[in-house]
Amino acid sequence: MCEVFILKKPLSIVITALSAVLLCVWLGGFLYAVQTNLNVQADESKNTSQDTGKKSQAVNNEKDLKVVAVGDSLTRGMGDETGKGYIGYLTDEMKAKSKKPVIVQNLGISGQKSDSLLAQVKTYSVTRQLKEADYILITIGGNDLFQGGQTLVDFQPAAVKSIQQKYLHNLEAILSHVRSSNSGAVIFLVGLYNPFIELENGKDTSQVVREWNYKSAEAAAKQIKTVYVPTFDLFELKVNDYLYTDRFHPNSKGYRLIAERVAALLTW
Amino acid sequence: MNKLIQNEMLKLLARKRLIVVGIILSILVVLFTYAQYQTVQTQLKKLGTTDWRTTLQQQIIDTQNRLSNSRIPDDFKKELEVRVKQQQYYLDNDINPAEPGAPSFTKEFMENSIDLLLPLMIMVIASDLVSSEFSMGSIKLLLTRPVKRWKILFSKYVTLLLAISLIIAMMGMISYLISGVVFGFKGWTAPEFIGFQITEAGFDASGASIIPQWQFILMDFGVVWFAAVVVGTLSFMVSVLIRSTAAGMGIILALLIAGAILSNMVSSWTSAKYFFMLNMRLTDYLNGSPPPIEGMTLSFSLAVLTVWWLLALFISFGVFTKKDIY
Repeated sequence: MCEVFILKKPLSIVITALSAVLLCVWLGGFLYAVQTNLNVQADESKNTSQDTGKKSQAVNNEKDLKVVAVGDSLTRGMGDETGKGYIGYLTDEMKAKSKKPVIVQNLGISGQKSDSLLAQVKTYSVTRQLKEADYILITIGGNDLFQGGQTLVDFQPAAVKSIQQKYLHNLEAILSHVRSSNSGAVIFLVGLYNPFIELENGKDTSQVVREWNYKSAEAAAKQIKTVYVPTFDLFELKVNDYLYTDRFHPNSKGYRLIAERVAALLTW
Repeated sequence: MNKLIQNEMLKLLARKRLIVVGIILSILVVLFTYAQYQTVQTQLKKLGTTDWRTTLQQQIIDTQNRLSNSRIPDDFKKELEVRVKQQQYYLDNDINPAEPGAPSFTKEFMENSIDLLLPLMIMVIASDLVSSEFSMGSIKLLLTRPVKRWKILFSKYVTLLLAISLIIAMMGMISYLISGVVFGFKGWTAPEFIGFQITEAGFDASGASIIPQWQFILMDFGVVWFAAVVVGTLSFMVSVLIRSTAAGMGIILALLIAGAILSNMVSSWTSAKYFFMLNMRLTDYLNGSPPPIEGMTLSFSLAVLTVWWLLALFISFGVFTKKDIY
Protein backbone atom coordinates (compact mmCIF):
# COMPACT_ATOMS: atom_id res chain seq x y z
CA MET A 1 0.00 0.00 0.00
CA CYS A 2 2.76 2.38 1.02
CA GLU A 3 4.71 1.72 -2.14
CA VAL A 4 1.75 2.46 -4.30
CA PHE A 5 1.39 5.83 -2.63
CA ILE A 6 5.02 6.76 -3.10
CA LEU A 7 4.90 5.83 -6.77
CA LYS A 8 1.74 7.78 -7.27
CA LYS A 9 2.80 11.07 -5.80
CA PRO A 10 4.42 12.70 -8.85
CA LEU A 11 1.70 11.29 -11.05
CA SER A 12 -0.96 12.76 -8.83
CA ILE A 13 0.69 16.17 -9.02
CA VAL A 14 0.67 15.97 -12.81
CA ILE A 15 -2.97 14.90 -12.84
CA THR A 16 -3.93 17.67 -10.43
CA ALA A 17 -2.20 20.29 -12.56
CA LEU A 18 -3.80 18.90 -15.70
CA SER A 19 -7.21 18.97 -14.05
CA ALA A 20 -6.67 22.57 -13.01
CA VAL A 21 -5.85 23.51 -16.59
CA LEU A 22 -8.91 21.65 -17.86
CA LEU A 23 -11.04 23.40 -15.26
CA CYS A 24 -9.94 26.75 -16.67
CA VAL A 25 -10.61 25.59 -20.24
CA TRP A 26 -14.15 24.42 -19.44
CA LEU A 27 -14.84 27.55 -17.46
CA GLY A 28 -13.65 29.56 -20.46
CA GLY A 29 -15.92 27.55 -22.76
CA PHE A 30 -18.82 28.10 -20.41
CA LEU A 31 -18.31 31.85 -20.25
CA TYR A 32 -17.90 31.94 -24.03
CA ALA A 33 -21.17 30.04 -24.50
CA VAL A 34 -23.05 32.34 -22.13
CA GLN A 35 -21.57 35.49 -23.61
CA THR A 36 -22.24 34.44 -27.22
CA ASN A 37 -25.81 33.47 -26.52
CA LEU A 38 -26.61 36.61 -24.63
CA ASN A 39 -24.98 38.70 -27.38
CA VAL A 40 -27.12 36.99 -29.96
CA GLN A 41 -30.21 37.88 -28.01
CA ALA A 42 -29.12 41.52 -27.77
CA ASP A 43 -28.30 41.69 -31.50
CA GLU A 44 -31.64 40.29 -32.33
CA SER A 45 -33.57 43.03 -30.60
CA LYS A 46 -31.41 45.55 -32.48
CA ASN A 47 -32.12 43.88 -35.80
CA THR A 48 -35.85 43.91 -35.35
CA SER A 49 -35.85 47.60 -34.53
CA GLN A 50 -33.84 48.32 -37.68
CA ASP A 51 -36.27 46.36 -39.77
CA THR A 52 -39.25 48.33 -38.59
CA GLY A 53 -37.34 51.52 -39.40
CA LYS A 54 -36.82 50.37 -42.97
CA LYS A 55 -40.41 49.40 -43.39
CA SER A 56 -41.74 52.78 -42.34
CA GLN A 57 -39.36 54.42 -44.82
CA ALA A 58 -40.72 52.28 -47.58
CA VAL A 59 -44.23 53.38 -46.83
CA ASN A 60 -43.29 57.04 -46.88
CA ASN A 61 -41.91 57.00 -50.40
CA GLU A 62 -44.47 57.01 -53.13
CA LYS A 63 -42.59 56.39 -56.34
CA ASP A 64 -40.53 53.24 -56.57
CA LEU A 65 -38.33 51.42 -59.05
CA LYS A 66 -39.86 48.25 -60.42
CA VAL A 67 -37.65 45.56 -61.86
CA VAL A 68 -39.01 42.46 -63.55
CA ALA A 69 -36.62 39.64 -64.33
CA VAL A 70 -37.57 36.75 -66.59
CA GLY A 71 -35.54 33.89 -67.97
CA ASP A 72 -33.69 30.73 -66.95
CA SER A 73 -31.58 29.49 -64.07
CA LEU A 74 -29.25 32.51 -64.33
CA THR A 75 -32.15 34.74 -63.37
CA ARG A 76 -33.08 32.23 -60.70
CA GLY A 77 -29.54 32.45 -59.30
CA MET A 78 -28.70 28.78 -59.44
CA GLY A 79 -25.20 28.06 -58.24
CA ASP A 80 -24.97 31.08 -55.98
CA GLU A 81 -24.43 29.95 -52.40
CA THR A 82 -26.48 32.83 -51.05
CA GLY A 83 -29.27 32.13 -53.55
CA LYS A 84 -29.24 35.73 -54.74
CA GLY A 85 -28.04 35.37 -58.31
CA TYR A 86 -27.18 38.39 -60.42
CA ILE A 87 -30.65 39.77 -59.80
CA GLY A 88 -30.02 39.75 -56.06
CA TYR A 89 -26.67 41.52 -56.33
CA LEU A 90 -28.08 44.01 -58.80
CA THR A 91 -30.93 44.72 -56.41
CA ASP A 92 -28.48 45.26 -53.57
CA GLU A 93 -26.58 47.72 -55.70
CA MET A 94 -29.71 49.55 -56.77
CA LYS A 95 -30.94 49.75 -53.19
CA ALA A 96 -27.64 51.23 -52.10
CA LYS A 97 -27.54 53.85 -54.85
CA SER A 98 -31.17 54.75 -55.33
CA LYS A 99 -33.22 56.74 -52.89
CA LYS A 100 -36.38 55.18 -54.18
CA PRO A 101 -37.46 51.80 -52.91
CA VAL A 102 -36.64 49.00 -55.31
CA ILE A 103 -39.19 46.31 -56.00
CA VAL A 104 -37.97 43.20 -57.78
CA GLN A 105 -40.07 40.45 -59.31
CA ASN A 106 -37.96 37.45 -60.15
CA LEU A 107 -39.92 35.25 -62.51
CA GLY A 108 -37.00 33.11 -63.64
CA ILE A 109 -37.55 29.39 -64.03
CA SER A 110 -34.61 27.03 -63.94
CA GLY A 111 -34.09 25.13 -67.17
CA GLN A 112 -36.35 27.41 -69.17
CA LYS A 113 -35.87 27.59 -72.94
CA SER A 114 -36.88 30.36 -75.31
CA ASP A 115 -40.16 28.75 -76.38
CA SER A 116 -41.44 28.34 -72.82
CA LEU A 117 -40.28 31.87 -71.98
CA LEU A 118 -42.33 33.13 -74.89
CA ALA A 119 -45.35 31.31 -73.50
CA GLN A 120 -44.59 32.70 -70.03
CA VAL A 121 -44.36 36.37 -71.03
CA LYS A 122 -47.60 36.04 -72.96
CA THR A 123 -49.57 34.96 -69.89
CA TYR A 124 -51.87 37.57 -68.44
CA SER A 125 -50.23 37.97 -65.04
CA VAL A 126 -46.70 38.26 -66.45
CA THR A 127 -47.80 40.79 -69.05
CA ARG A 128 -49.42 42.84 -66.31
CA GLN A 129 -46.21 42.84 -64.29
CA LEU A 130 -44.15 43.73 -67.33
CA LYS A 131 -46.46 46.69 -67.96
CA GLU A 132 -45.58 48.25 -64.61
CA ALA A 133 -41.84 47.66 -64.82
CA ASP A 134 -39.13 50.29 -65.12
CA TYR A 135 -36.46 47.76 -65.98
CA ILE A 136 -36.90 44.36 -67.58
CA LEU A 137 -34.08 41.86 -67.38
CA ILE A 138 -33.89 38.78 -69.56
CA THR A 139 -31.51 35.82 -69.57
CA ILE A 140 -32.39 33.20 -72.12
CA GLY A 141 -30.80 30.90 -74.65
CA GLY A 142 -28.37 29.02 -72.44
CA ASN A 143 -30.59 25.97 -72.26
CA ASP A 144 -31.49 26.20 -75.96
CA LEU A 145 -27.87 26.14 -76.97
CA PHE A 146 -26.19 23.93 -74.42
CA GLN A 147 -28.99 21.53 -73.47
CA GLY A 148 -27.00 20.63 -70.40
CA GLY A 149 -23.81 20.37 -72.42
CA GLN A 150 -25.13 17.84 -74.91
CA THR A 151 -25.11 20.07 -77.99
CA LEU A 152 -21.47 20.89 -77.73
CA VAL A 153 -20.34 17.39 -76.82
CA ASP A 154 -21.60 15.87 -80.05
CA PHE A 155 -20.88 19.04 -81.92
CA GLN A 156 -22.76 19.28 -85.22
CA PRO A 157 -22.83 22.66 -86.96
CA ALA A 158 -26.03 21.83 -88.84
CA ALA A 159 -27.91 20.94 -85.66
CA VAL A 160 -26.71 24.11 -83.96
CA LYS A 161 -27.90 26.12 -86.94
CA SER A 162 -31.46 24.83 -86.68
CA ILE A 163 -31.54 25.36 -82.92
CA GLN A 164 -30.34 28.89 -83.45
CA GLN A 165 -33.04 29.60 -86.03
CA LYS A 166 -35.75 28.49 -83.63
CA TYR A 167 -34.21 30.47 -80.78
CA LEU A 168 -33.95 33.68 -82.75
CA HIS A 169 -37.51 33.36 -83.88
CA ASN A 170 -38.65 32.97 -80.25
CA LEU A 171 -36.38 35.75 -79.03
CA GLU A 172 -37.75 38.24 -81.50
CA ALA A 173 -41.28 37.32 -80.51
CA ILE A 174 -40.41 37.67 -76.82
CA LEU A 175 -38.79 41.07 -77.28
CA SER A 176 -41.58 42.44 -79.41
CA HIS A 177 -44.21 41.19 -76.98
CA VAL A 178 -42.40 42.76 -74.03
CA ARG A 179 -41.94 45.98 -75.96
CA SER A 180 -45.56 46.17 -76.97
CA SER A 181 -46.78 45.59 -73.41
CA ASN A 182 -44.46 48.27 -72.01
CA SER A 183 -43.04 50.94 -74.30
CA GLY A 184 -41.21 52.91 -71.63
CA ALA A 185 -39.13 50.37 -69.76
CA VAL A 186 -35.51 49.64 -70.57
CA ILE A 187 -34.96 46.01 -71.55
CA PHE A 188 -31.66 44.34 -70.80
CA LEU A 189 -30.94 41.14 -72.66
CA VAL A 190 -28.05 39.40 -70.94
CA GLY A 191 -25.87 37.43 -73.35
CA LEU A 192 -24.30 34.01 -73.01
CA TYR A 193 -20.83 33.09 -71.79
CA ASN A 194 -19.09 29.87 -72.72
CA PRO A 195 -18.80 27.60 -69.67
CA PHE A 196 -16.94 25.00 -71.75
CA ILE A 197 -14.20 27.36 -72.90
CA GLU A 198 -11.45 25.42 -71.14
CA LEU A 199 -12.51 22.05 -72.50
CA GLU A 200 -10.87 20.39 -75.47
CA ASN A 201 -12.92 21.95 -78.24
CA GLY A 202 -13.18 25.29 -76.45
CA LYS A 203 -12.31 27.22 -79.59
CA ASP A 204 -15.14 25.69 -81.58
CA THR A 205 -17.70 26.17 -78.86
CA SER A 206 -16.57 29.75 -78.28
CA GLN A 207 -17.08 30.45 -81.93
CA VAL A 208 -20.63 29.10 -81.76
CA VAL A 209 -21.40 31.16 -78.64
CA ARG A 210 -19.96 34.33 -80.21
CA GLU A 211 -22.11 33.86 -83.28
CA TRP A 212 -25.12 33.17 -81.09
CA ASN A 213 -24.50 36.32 -79.09
CA TYR A 214 -24.05 38.37 -82.22
CA LYS A 215 -27.43 37.25 -83.55
CA SER A 216 -29.04 37.97 -80.16
CA ALA A 217 -27.56 41.46 -80.15
CA GLU A 218 -28.94 42.03 -83.64
CA ALA A 219 -32.38 40.97 -82.48
CA ALA A 220 -32.14 43.33 -79.50
CA ALA A 221 -31.11 46.20 -81.76
CA LYS A 222 -34.38 45.91 -83.65
CA GLN A 223 -36.28 47.15 -80.61
CA ILE A 224 -35.95 50.60 -79.04
CA LYS A 225 -34.45 51.03 -75.57
CA THR A 226 -33.31 47.44 -75.64
CA VAL A 227 -29.72 46.83 -74.60
CA TYR A 228 -27.77 43.68 -75.24
CA VAL A 229 -25.40 43.06 -72.30
CA PRO A 230 -22.39 40.92 -73.20
CA THR A 231 -21.02 38.48 -70.60
CA PHE A 232 -18.80 36.40 -72.86
CA ASP A 233 -15.67 38.42 -72.05
CA LEU A 234 -16.30 38.24 -68.29
CA PHE A 235 -15.86 34.49 -68.29
CA GLU A 236 -13.27 34.29 -71.03
CA LEU A 237 -10.25 34.15 -68.76
CA LYS A 238 -10.21 32.00 -65.63
CA VAL A 239 -13.65 30.64 -66.31
CA ASN A 240 -13.36 28.09 -63.51
CA ASP A 241 -12.93 30.80 -60.89
CA TYR A 242 -16.36 32.11 -61.72
CA LEU A 243 -18.25 28.87 -62.19
CA TYR A 244 -20.09 26.85 -59.59
CA THR A 245 -19.07 23.23 -58.90
CA ASP A 246 -21.42 22.02 -61.61
CA ARG A 247 -19.13 23.82 -64.09
CA PHE A 248 -22.10 25.33 -65.86
CA HIS A 249 -23.74 27.96 -63.69
CA PRO A 250 -21.85 30.96 -62.33
CA ASN A 251 -20.89 31.02 -58.65
CA SER A 252 -21.30 34.05 -56.39
CA LYS A 253 -18.30 35.77 -57.97
CA GLY A 254 -19.59 35.15 -61.46
CA TYR A 255 -23.03 36.46 -60.64
CA ARG A 256 -21.48 39.52 -59.08
CA LEU A 257 -19.59 40.22 -62.30
CA ILE A 258 -22.78 40.04 -64.33
CA ALA A 259 -24.61 42.24 -61.82
CA GLU A 260 -21.85 44.85 -61.92
CA ARG A 261 -22.02 44.99 -65.67
CA VAL A 262 -25.77 45.50 -65.69
CA ALA A 263 -25.57 47.99 -62.83
CA ALA A 264 -23.12 50.09 -64.83
CA LEU A 265 -25.76 50.48 -67.55
CA LEU A 266 -28.52 51.69 -65.27
CA THR A 267 -29.38 55.37 -65.44
CA TRP A 268 -31.31 57.18 -62.80
CA MET B 1 -4.19 24.56 1.44
CA ASN B 2 -2.25 23.34 -1.56
CA LYS B 3 -1.03 20.36 0.47
CA LEU B 4 -4.57 19.55 1.51
CA ILE B 5 -5.76 19.51 -2.09
CA GLN B 6 -2.79 17.36 -3.08
CA ASN B 7 -3.67 14.97 -0.30
CA GLU B 8 -7.30 14.74 -1.37
CA MET B 9 -6.31 14.20 -4.97
CA LEU B 10 -3.98 11.41 -3.89
CA LYS B 11 -6.80 9.72 -2.01
CA LEU B 12 -9.10 10.06 -4.99
CA LEU B 13 -6.58 8.54 -7.37
CA ALA B 14 -5.72 5.75 -4.95
CA ARG B 15 -9.39 4.78 -4.84
CA LYS B 16 -9.23 4.14 -8.61
CA ARG B 17 -12.73 5.42 -9.21
CA LEU B 18 -11.59 7.56 -12.09
CA ILE B 19 -10.29 4.46 -13.83
CA VAL B 20 -13.62 2.72 -13.32
CA VAL B 21 -15.38 5.76 -14.81
CA GLY B 22 -12.99 5.63 -17.75
CA ILE B 23 -13.69 1.96 -18.37
CA ILE B 24 -17.46 2.42 -18.18
CA LEU B 25 -17.27 5.32 -20.62
CA SER B 26 -15.07 3.38 -23.03
CA ILE B 27 -17.49 0.47 -23.14
CA LEU B 28 -20.46 2.77 -23.66
CA VAL B 29 -18.74 4.75 -26.39
CA VAL B 30 -17.84 1.55 -28.22
CA LEU B 31 -21.50 0.53 -28.05
CA PHE B 32 -22.74 3.92 -29.26
CA THR B 33 -20.20 4.06 -32.03
CA TYR B 34 -21.32 0.67 -33.23
CA ALA B 35 -24.97 1.71 -33.07
CA GLN B 36 -24.22 4.88 -35.01
CA TYR B 37 -22.23 2.87 -37.54
CA GLN B 38 -25.20 0.55 -38.07
CA THR B 39 -27.52 3.52 -38.57
CA VAL B 40 -25.18 4.96 -41.15
CA GLN B 41 -24.98 1.65 -42.97
CA THR B 42 -28.75 1.23 -43.23
CA GLN B 43 -29.03 4.84 -44.33
CA LEU B 44 -26.49 4.28 -47.06
CA LYS B 45 -28.31 1.16 -48.18
CA LYS B 46 -31.56 3.08 -48.36
CA LEU B 47 -30.00 5.76 -50.53
CA GLY B 48 -28.66 3.11 -52.86
CA THR B 49 -25.09 2.88 -54.00
CA THR B 50 -25.24 6.12 -55.93
CA ASP B 51 -22.55 8.71 -55.45
CA TRP B 52 -23.45 10.84 -52.46
CA ARG B 53 -21.74 13.84 -54.01
CA THR B 54 -24.29 14.05 -56.82
CA THR B 55 -27.14 13.69 -54.35
CA LEU B 56 -25.69 16.40 -52.17
CA GLN B 57 -25.12 18.65 -55.15
CA GLN B 58 -28.73 18.17 -56.15
CA GLN B 59 -29.88 18.99 -52.63
CA ILE B 60 -27.84 22.19 -52.65
CA ILE B 61 -29.33 23.30 -55.94
CA ASP B 62 -32.84 22.48 -54.77
CA THR B 63 -32.34 24.56 -51.66
CA GLN B 64 -30.88 27.41 -53.67
CA ASN B 65 -33.92 27.38 -55.88
CA ARG B 66 -36.12 27.57 -52.83
CA LEU B 67 -33.99 30.39 -51.44
CA SER B 68 -34.60 32.58 -54.45
CA ASN B 69 -38.32 32.26 -53.94
CA SER B 70 -39.35 35.62 -52.53
CA ARG B 71 -42.38 34.20 -50.79
CA ILE B 72 -40.69 32.16 -48.11
CA PRO B 73 -40.34 33.90 -44.74
CA ASP B 74 -37.01 35.45 -43.78
CA ASP B 75 -36.22 33.22 -40.83
CA PHE B 76 -36.80 30.10 -42.85
CA LYS B 77 -34.58 31.56 -45.56
CA LYS B 78 -31.84 31.98 -42.98
CA GLU B 79 -32.14 28.37 -41.97
CA LEU B 80 -31.93 27.26 -45.58
CA GLU B 81 -28.91 29.47 -46.18
CA VAL B 82 -27.12 27.87 -43.29
CA ARG B 83 -28.04 24.43 -44.57
CA VAL B 84 -26.61 25.26 -47.98
CA LYS B 85 -23.40 26.50 -46.37
CA GLN B 86 -23.11 23.30 -44.35
CA GLN B 87 -23.77 21.11 -47.36
CA GLN B 88 -21.32 23.07 -49.48
CA TYR B 89 -18.71 22.58 -46.76
CA TYR B 90 -19.29 18.84 -46.81
CA LEU B 91 -18.99 18.82 -50.58
CA ASP B 92 -15.84 20.93 -50.63
CA ASN B 93 -14.16 18.91 -47.90
CA ASP B 94 -15.26 15.55 -49.23
CA ILE B 95 -17.20 14.62 -46.10
CA ASN B 96 -20.26 12.46 -46.51
CA PRO B 97 -22.88 14.14 -44.30
CA ALA B 98 -24.52 10.77 -43.65
CA GLU B 99 -21.28 9.62 -42.01
CA PRO B 100 -20.51 11.91 -39.11
CA GLY B 101 -16.89 12.65 -38.21
CA ALA B 102 -15.52 12.12 -34.73
CA PRO B 103 -16.11 15.77 -33.69
CA SER B 104 -19.80 15.52 -34.57
CA PHE B 105 -20.07 12.22 -32.72
CA THR B 106 -18.37 13.71 -29.66
CA LYS B 107 -20.64 16.72 -29.74
CA GLU B 108 -23.73 14.57 -29.92
CA PHE B 109 -22.46 12.22 -27.23
CA MET B 110 -21.86 15.13 -24.85
CA GLU B 111 -25.24 16.64 -25.62
CA ASN B 112 -27.02 13.38 -24.93
CA SER B 113 -25.12 12.54 -21.77
CA ILE B 114 -25.49 15.94 -20.10
CA ASP B 115 -28.61 15.10 -18.14
CA LEU B 116 -28.07 11.51 -17.06
CA LEU B 117 -24.89 9.67 -17.97
CA LEU B 118 -22.42 12.37 -17.03
CA PRO B 119 -24.17 13.25 -13.75
CA LEU B 120 -24.06 9.55 -12.83
CA MET B 121 -20.34 9.44 -13.43
CA ILE B 122 -19.85 12.62 -11.42
CA MET B 123 -21.98 11.16 -8.66
CA VAL B 124 -19.75 8.12 -8.39
CA ILE B 125 -16.90 10.44 -7.46
CA ALA B 126 -18.76 13.08 -5.49
CA SER B 127 -21.07 11.08 -3.30
CA ASP B 128 -18.43 9.44 -1.16
CA LEU B 129 -15.90 12.25 -0.90
CA VAL B 130 -17.07 13.08 2.61
CA SER B 131 -19.26 10.17 3.64
CA SER B 132 -16.49 7.62 3.06
CA GLU B 133 -14.41 9.45 5.65
CA PHE B 134 -17.24 8.85 8.07
CA SER B 135 -17.82 5.24 7.18
CA MET B 136 -14.10 4.43 7.36
CA GLY B 137 -13.72 6.47 10.49
CA SER B 138 -10.82 8.45 9.09
CA ILE B 139 -12.71 11.70 9.58
CA LYS B 140 -11.53 11.79 13.19
CA LEU B 141 -7.89 11.59 12.17
CA LEU B 142 -8.47 14.38 9.67
CA LEU B 143 -10.21 16.68 12.11
CA THR B 144 -7.71 16.26 14.93
CA ARG B 145 -5.16 18.15 12.82
CA PRO B 146 -4.82 21.87 13.53
CA VAL B 147 -6.62 22.84 10.38
CA LYS B 148 -9.93 24.68 10.23
CA ARG B 149 -12.87 22.49 9.27
CA TRP B 150 -13.98 24.65 6.37
CA LYS B 151 -10.51 24.35 4.89
CA ILE B 152 -10.74 20.58 4.91
CA LEU B 153 -14.12 20.65 3.24
CA PHE B 154 -12.97 23.30 0.79
CA SER B 155 -10.00 21.18 -0.26
CA LYS B 156 -12.40 18.32 -0.86
CA TYR B 157 -14.62 20.58 -2.92
CA VAL B 158 -11.74 21.81 -5.05
CA THR B 159 -10.74 18.20 -5.62
CA LEU B 160 -14.27 17.53 -6.77
CA LEU B 161 -14.10 20.40 -9.27
CA LEU B 162 -10.78 19.11 -10.57
CA ALA B 163 -12.16 15.59 -10.88
CA ILE B 164 -15.21 16.86 -12.77
CA SER B 165 -12.99 18.72 -15.21
CA LEU B 166 -10.90 15.63 -15.66
CA ILE B 167 -13.91 13.36 -16.23
CA ILE B 168 -15.34 15.68 -18.87
CA ALA B 169 -12.01 15.80 -20.66
CA MET B 170 -11.79 12.02 -20.43
CA MET B 171 -15.26 11.69 -21.88
CA GLY B 172 -14.38 13.97 -24.76
CA MET B 173 -11.10 12.19 -25.49
CA ILE B 174 -12.55 8.70 -25.26
CA SER B 175 -15.47 9.43 -27.53
CA TYR B 176 -13.28 11.32 -30.01
CA LEU B 177 -10.61 8.63 -30.21
CA ILE B 178 -12.93 5.61 -30.37
CA SER B 179 -15.44 7.09 -32.81
CA GLY B 180 -12.62 8.58 -34.87
CA VAL B 181 -11.32 5.12 -35.67
CA VAL B 182 -14.63 4.32 -37.35
CA PHE B 183 -15.82 7.69 -38.66
CA GLY B 184 -12.54 9.53 -39.26
CA PHE B 185 -11.11 12.43 -37.31
CA LYS B 186 -12.11 15.20 -39.72
CA GLY B 187 -14.69 17.93 -39.32
CA TRP B 188 -13.36 20.34 -36.71
CA THR B 189 -14.03 23.36 -38.89
CA ALA B 190 -17.45 22.28 -40.16
CA PRO B 191 -19.87 25.20 -39.89
CA GLU B 192 -22.30 25.07 -36.99
CA PHE B 193 -24.95 27.59 -36.37
CA ILE B 194 -26.02 29.20 -33.16
CA GLY B 195 -28.45 31.83 -32.04
CA PHE B 196 -31.83 30.22 -32.55
CA GLN B 197 -34.72 31.38 -30.53
CA ILE B 198 -37.62 29.18 -29.67
CA THR B 199 -40.44 31.59 -29.06
CA GLU B 200 -44.19 31.28 -28.82
CA ALA B 201 -44.33 32.13 -32.51
CA GLY B 202 -42.19 29.09 -33.20
CA PHE B 203 -38.75 28.69 -34.61
CA ASP B 204 -36.87 31.96 -35.04
CA ALA B 205 -33.51 31.90 -36.77
CA SER B 206 -33.15 35.58 -37.51
CA GLY B 207 -30.26 35.95 -35.07
CA ALA B 208 -28.43 32.86 -36.22
CA SER B 209 -24.77 33.04 -37.07
CA ILE B 210 -22.18 30.52 -38.14
CA ILE B 211 -19.15 29.39 -36.18
CA PRO B 212 -16.69 26.56 -36.79
CA GLN B 213 -17.59 23.31 -35.07
CA TRP B 214 -14.64 23.34 -32.64
CA GLN B 215 -15.90 26.58 -31.13
CA PHE B 216 -19.33 25.07 -30.80
CA ILE B 217 -17.86 22.00 -29.13
CA LEU B 218 -15.94 24.21 -26.72
CA MET B 219 -19.20 25.92 -25.80
CA ASP B 220 -20.90 22.55 -25.41
CA PHE B 221 -18.18 21.36 -23.07
CA GLY B 222 -18.41 24.61 -21.15
CA VAL B 223 -22.11 24.27 -20.39
CA VAL B 224 -21.73 20.53 -19.79
CA TRP B 225 -19.07 21.37 -17.24
CA PHE B 226 -21.34 23.87 -15.52
CA ALA B 227 -24.20 21.37 -15.30
CA ALA B 228 -21.78 18.74 -13.98
CA VAL B 229 -20.49 21.12 -11.31
CA VAL B 230 -24.02 21.78 -10.10
CA VAL B 231 -24.84 18.06 -9.87
CA GLY B 232 -21.44 17.41 -8.30
CA THR B 233 -22.09 20.04 -5.66
CA LEU B 234 -25.50 18.58 -4.87
CA SER B 235 -24.07 15.08 -4.47
CA PHE B 236 -21.34 16.62 -2.36
CA MET B 237 -23.97 18.14 -0.10
CA VAL B 238 -25.76 14.82 0.22
CA SER B 239 -22.43 13.22 1.02
CA VAL B 240 -21.97 15.67 3.87
CA LEU B 241 -25.50 15.19 5.17
CA ILE B 242 -25.75 11.42 4.99
CA ARG B 243 -23.19 9.08 6.44
CA SER B 244 -23.99 6.17 4.21
CA THR B 245 -22.49 6.46 0.73
CA ALA B 246 -25.02 4.02 -0.73
CA ALA B 247 -28.00 5.97 0.60
CA GLY B 248 -26.53 9.22 -0.74
CA MET B 249 -26.02 7.71 -4.17
CA GLY B 250 -29.57 6.40 -4.11
CA ILE B 251 -31.00 9.82 -3.41
CA ILE B 252 -29.10 11.55 -6.20
CA LEU B 253 -29.85 8.70 -8.59
CA ALA B 254 -33.56 8.95 -7.83
CA LEU B 255 -33.51 12.71 -8.40
CA LEU B 256 -31.73 12.41 -11.71
CA ILE B 257 -34.00 9.70 -13.03
CA ALA B 258 -37.05 11.61 -11.82
CA GLY B 259 -35.75 14.56 -13.81
CA ALA B 260 -35.39 12.47 -16.95
CA ILE B 261 -38.93 11.15 -16.59
CA LEU B 262 -40.40 14.53 -15.70
CA SER B 263 -38.87 16.34 -18.65
CA ASN B 264 -40.70 13.91 -20.91
CA MET B 265 -44.10 14.53 -19.43
CA VAL B 266 -44.34 17.91 -17.73
CA SER B 267 -45.08 20.87 -20.00
CA SER B 268 -48.38 21.55 -18.26
CA TRP B 269 -46.93 21.66 -14.76
CA THR B 270 -44.98 24.86 -15.27
CA SER B 271 -43.57 25.27 -11.77
CA ALA B 272 -41.56 22.11 -12.39
CA LYS B 273 -39.14 24.36 -14.23
CA TYR B 274 -37.61 25.36 -10.89
CA PHE B 275 -36.26 21.85 -10.36
CA PHE B 276 -32.59 21.61 -11.15
CA MET B 277 -33.10 18.32 -13.04
CA LEU B 278 -35.22 19.98 -15.70
CA ASN B 279 -32.65 22.68 -16.29
CA MET B 280 -29.77 20.31 -16.94
CA ARG B 281 -30.02 20.18 -20.72
CA LEU B 282 -28.16 23.44 -21.31
CA THR B 283 -26.83 22.22 -24.64
CA ASP B 284 -30.38 22.29 -26.01
CA TYR B 285 -30.32 26.07 -25.84
CA LEU B 286 -27.16 26.15 -27.92
CA ASN B 287 -28.37 23.87 -30.70
CA GLY B 288 -31.90 25.17 -30.75
CA SER B 289 -33.96 22.21 -29.50
CA PRO B 290 -37.11 23.23 -27.70
CA PRO B 291 -36.90 23.28 -23.87
CA PRO B 292 -39.10 20.87 -21.84
CA ILE B 293 -41.32 23.69 -20.61
CA GLU B 294 -42.25 26.62 -22.79
CA GLY B 295 -40.67 29.91 -21.88
CA MET B 296 -37.47 28.47 -20.44
CA THR B 297 -34.33 30.22 -21.70
CA LEU B 298 -30.61 29.79 -21.22
CA SER B 299 -30.44 32.64 -18.72
CA PHE B 300 -33.37 31.19 -16.80
CA SER B 301 -31.80 27.75 -16.55
CA LEU B 302 -28.44 29.22 -15.56
CA ALA B 303 -30.11 31.25 -12.84
CA VAL B 304 -32.00 28.22 -11.47
CA LEU B 305 -28.88 26.07 -11.50
CA THR B 306 -26.85 28.81 -9.83
CA VAL B 307 -29.40 29.11 -7.03
CA TRP B 308 -29.35 25.34 -6.43
CA TRP B 309 -25.56 25.37 -6.55
CA LEU B 310 -25.22 28.20 -4.01
CA LEU B 311 -27.79 26.59 -1.75
CA ALA B 312 -25.96 23.25 -1.82
CA LEU B 313 -22.63 24.92 -1.09
CA PHE B 314 -24.09 26.93 1.77
CA ILE B 315 -25.71 23.87 3.37
CA SER B 316 -22.59 21.71 2.94
CA PHE B 317 -20.28 24.18 4.61
CA GLY B 318 -22.84 25.21 7.22
CA VAL B 319 -23.49 21.64 8.30
CA PHE B 320 -19.93 20.37 8.12
CA THR B 321 -18.48 23.13 10.30
CA LYS B 322 -21.18 22.72 12.95
CA LYS B 323 -21.59 18.95 12.89
CA ASP B 324 -20.79 16.78 15.90
CA ILE B 325 -18.31 14.12 14.97
CA TYR B 326 -18.40 10.94 16.99
